[in-house]
Amino acid sequence: MNFFGFGSGAEIEILLDGADKRKKVEHKTSESKTEELSVYYDGETVSGAVSISLKPGGKLEHKGIKIELIGQIEILYDRANQHDFATLTKQLASTGILNQSKVYAFEFPHVEKPYESYFGSNVRLRYSLRVTVGRRLTDLTKELEFVVHTLSTYPDTSSSIKMEVGIEDCLHIEFEYNKQKYHLKDAIIGKIYFLLVRVKIRHMEMHVIKRETTGTGPNVYHDDDTVAKFEIMDGAPVKGESIPIRLFLAGYNLTPSMREINRKFSVRYFLNLVLIDEEDRRYFKQQEIILWRKGDIPSRQINTNIAESTKRFGA
Amino acid sequence: VYLTMGESSVPNSEEQERLLDEALQVVKMESFQMKRELDKNKLMDGLKHASELLKELRTSALTPKNYYELYMAVCDELRHLQSYLTDEFQKGRLVSDLYELVQYAGNIIPRLYLLVTVGVVYIKVKPGCCEAILKDLVEMCRGVQHPLRGLFLRNYLLQCTKNVLPDGDAEGKGATIQNSIDFILLNFAEMNKLWVRMQHLGHSRERERRERERQELRILVGTNLVRLSQLEAVDVNSYRKIVLNGILEQAVNCRDAIAQEYLMECIIQVFPDEFHLQTLRSFLRACADLHPQVNIKNTIIALIDRLSHFATKDDGPGIPNDVMLFDIFSEQLANIIEVRPQMKMEDVVSMQTALVNLAFNCYPDRTDYVDRVLEATAQVFDTRNVEIVSNGSHLCKEMCELLQVPIAIYNNILTILQLQFFAPLYEHLDYQSRKKIAVNLVSNALEHNTVVSSPEQADSFLMLVSPLIQDQSDQPSDIDEEDFIEEQGLVGRFAHLLYSDEPDQHFQILRKAQTHFAKGGNKRMKFTFPAVVCATYEDASWQKKCQKCFESCRAVINNLCQAEYSELPIRLFLQGALSASELEFENHEAVAYEFISQAFSIYEEEIADSRAQLAAVMLLISTIEKCQCFSEESHAPLRTQCAHAASRLLKKPDQSRAVAHVAHLFWSGCTQETERKEMHESRRVVECLKKAVRTANQCMEPAVQLQLFVEILNKYIYFYERGCSGITVDLLNQLIGKIREELSNLESSDCEVI
Repeated sequence: MNFFGFGSGAEIEILLDGADKRKKVEHKTSESKTEELSVYYDGETVSGAVSISLKPGGKLEHKGIKIELIGQIEILYDRANQHDFATLTKQLASTGILNQSKVYAFEFPHVEKPYESYFGSNVRLRYSLRVTVGRRLTDLTKELEFVVHTLSTYPDTSSSIKMEVGIEDCLHIEFEYNKQKYHLKDAIIGKIYFLLVRVKIRHMEMHVIKRETTGTGPNVYHDDDTVAKFEIMDGAPVKGESIPIRLFLAGYNLTPSMREINRKFSVRYFLNLVLIDEEDRRYFKQQEIILWRKGDIPSRQINTNIAESTKRFGA
Repeated sequence: VYLTMGESSVPNSEEQERLLDEALQVVKMESFQMKRELDKNKLMDGLKHASELLKELRTSALTPKNYYELYMAVCDELRHLQSYLTDEFQKGRLVSDLYELVQYAGNIIPRLYLLVTVGVVYIKVKPGCCEAILKDLVEMCRGVQHPLRGLFLRNYLLQCTKNVLPDGDAEGKGATIQNSIDFILLNFAEMNKLWVRMQHLGHSRERERRERERQELRILVGTNLVRLSQLEAVDVNSYRKIVLNGILEQAVNCRDAIAQEYLMECIIQVFPDEFHLQTLRSFLRACADLHPQVNIKNTIIALIDRLSHFATKDDGPGIPNDVMLFDIFSEQLANIIEVRPQMKMEDVVSMQTALVNLAFNCYPDRTDYVDRVLEATAQVFDTRNVEIVSNGSHLCKEMCELLQVPIAIYNNILTILQLQFFAPLYEHLDYQSRKKIAVNLVSNALEHNTVVSSPEQADSFLMLVSPLIQDQSDQPSDIDEEDFIEEQGLVGRFAHLLYSDEPDQHFQILRKAQTHFAKGGNKRMKFTFPAVVCATYEDASWQKKCQKCFESCRAVINNLCQAEYSELPIRLFLQGALSASELEFENHEAVAYEFISQAFSIYEEEIADSRAQLAAVMLLISTIEKCQCFSEESHAPLRTQCAHAASRLLKKPDQSRAVAHVAHLFWSGCTQETERKEMHESRRVVECLKKAVRTANQCMEPAVQLQLFVEILNKYIYFYERGCSGITVDLLNQLIGKIREELSNLESSDCEVI
């Protein structure tokens, strides 16, 4: 990291404790590049070491070395609107001269990480560690991004969503989803019951829509993204028909639902039931669901697996 | 500018071919890719290609036939995938969440095909999850509501699970036969719904095409029933309680004629007869509830025929004693007919025909069963107010069939007479058909030599065949003469089957017959009366009734005379005389005399034709010659009368021959006085012969004359040889000389020798 072609020639590296054992997630930094980021949870200590390597014989004069843990929300269309919701700083060394490479251990004990990392289309919530070596002209800095997952627990018996909707004398359906709150590896189990069918339905799809809301008041900005498109019925049912739904969420790129994160943004999820008739008219009903992150599930036996993957509504 | 054709337009076969071709190309290509990925053990990539090739099955553009071809091609490829997966699993290379993974496919058709494929692999490898997976697959397939695609998907499900369904001893595996039954029944119900739904899609003007397509697809639905029948653990009990109920419920509730007809037929065909026997009632009850348009007749007849066949199979167990086969059928058929008033009469009758066959095949001794069927049929005629069945109609054909069955199976008209409802039913037929049946009855009696031995039987039988016996109110005016003669010939022959060993009985029978035949009118008497008379003569061997017999015969013959027949009565009288003569009853001489004199008077009064006259005279002469009962007092006038009649014939050759014939009377005639020895009155014999020669001399035609001489010479020689004293060698030579002379005359002229 020597932008100016001169100077110290020092290399800064941030090493996290237990990095090899820590859970990683892939993060796309650009179209073609991904990097692996370590995952931390709220309240977890973030510790590690900062290594500053000097070329043999080199020396580094600095005005102090510090490491910061930063939580930051970026609104992408509004560069000015950058907000740090957390900043912790540790001084690693006071002003002095380094004559040889040195490793500084650091620790942020039990750090509060209130929000889940988020990389949306208009907003990002990211955590990073930043080492700054203070210098007379330009500081030397090094950043290491990490990811925070917020875990929640909800009782498995959260109530189902049941609703009867329709267009008078045309189409009446009743749909039922087994829960309102789904964890990210969950499956949406449900059924659609046709009470009245007077349109020639061609097929029916289930969409999962992510709605990212940024800004406040008059400047609210919505961004809808269909993250899953899933055909659940082919052909036209008749009155009395009941169609099963089973949609596994694990395969899609989903995040927990987020509400008013630091009053900056929200991420909400909707199940959109779409019926398309032979004239390509669409009939749909949106229903919000809450997504949450559950602690990792140990890998399962095939039989329990079957029990999970054959779950049906009312069965 | 292209005009796009709506989805409902008739498919263009070229276009279809192209579409199918394209789809098959894609399948081929994707399957190639799939196999390549699988070879490299890249399962997920393989599955992606599998999903791509399965997408071809999402098409709506192909006709059922072409869709089927595409489906078959896809199935071939999926089989490869399935065996790859099975291998992998067995090698322990377990992909634990494969069943979940394939469910990420965004399109439902590929998703479900893959799910089925993977599911079956799971069942093979982990039988413990069989129940869960079977249930899941059959339920998830609900997502495909498009009839054609749904039918094929579910057919795929059925084909794939063929060898993994729990059957019989499945203890410990977690899944039971009940799971298999539930699975197939549910799949069947769903497929049937889809199949029925096809009927209601699209424009009504394409109904015909749709129905044709449905018929093409029915085997897909039927396969469910086949699969049920292949489950070895399904016994009579579970068939009755679960399987059949499930099928019937679906069949009845779908209210679709095509489906109902096919399914009922299918049930009969695929399940064993032993099951049918135990479930007849529910099956037949369901039949009553079917759509009015269902041609239930075929179904029921098929069932009856099968069970009849089962009952009579040589190595079969027969009908179990606790199954009241006939009762059930009879009662249920009555019910079906009652609740289906729109059922055609001919169909009703043809079902009853099948039932008659069943009754006979299964219970050959129970003629009352057959009668019950006829009764039931007659009742339907009453309830539906059917009076007369017109000739040539379907109903008429079926009725004849029904009535001919008992005739053909029993081969005994007496048994037919026991069937009380045979006649009432038969009465509904029109003249032609009644006559046909009557001819059948009579022919059958003749063929099987069925003797009618009581007056009551004779009475009812002759009543039954009355179209042959007497004119009918509904008969047409023009009657085919040849047929008529043939029919009456049959009746005549039949008269000889009216017979009892008891003379009294026999007499009664013949009296009955007479009364019936008397109604037949002149044209029939000719055929029927002689038979009765002859039969009566045969019978008249019994002292007490002899007189009566002959009296009745006389009356009968007189009837014939009134009918303006002449030769026939003469013959009958003469025959009667001969019979009387031979019988030793008190008054036989008088009877014989009376009969001969009757014959004479008919001869004198009625016969005008000279040929007939000659024949009658000859008959008279011969008869008197044979009668041995007369006293001289009676015989003499008869002889004289014969000589008189002979000499009074119109034509000379006739006279000559008749007179020569009279000679026999004087030679071999017997009287009481001669004590039954021939009288040998030589003088009179010679007189007769000489007279014959004289008469022959008067003939103008030399050839005829010559022939007469030869004939007379024969007579001379005959009597000469028997020692007739009046005939001398001179006399013979004289005649021979005459013949020679005539012969030379004849040769000199140009006449030909006859």
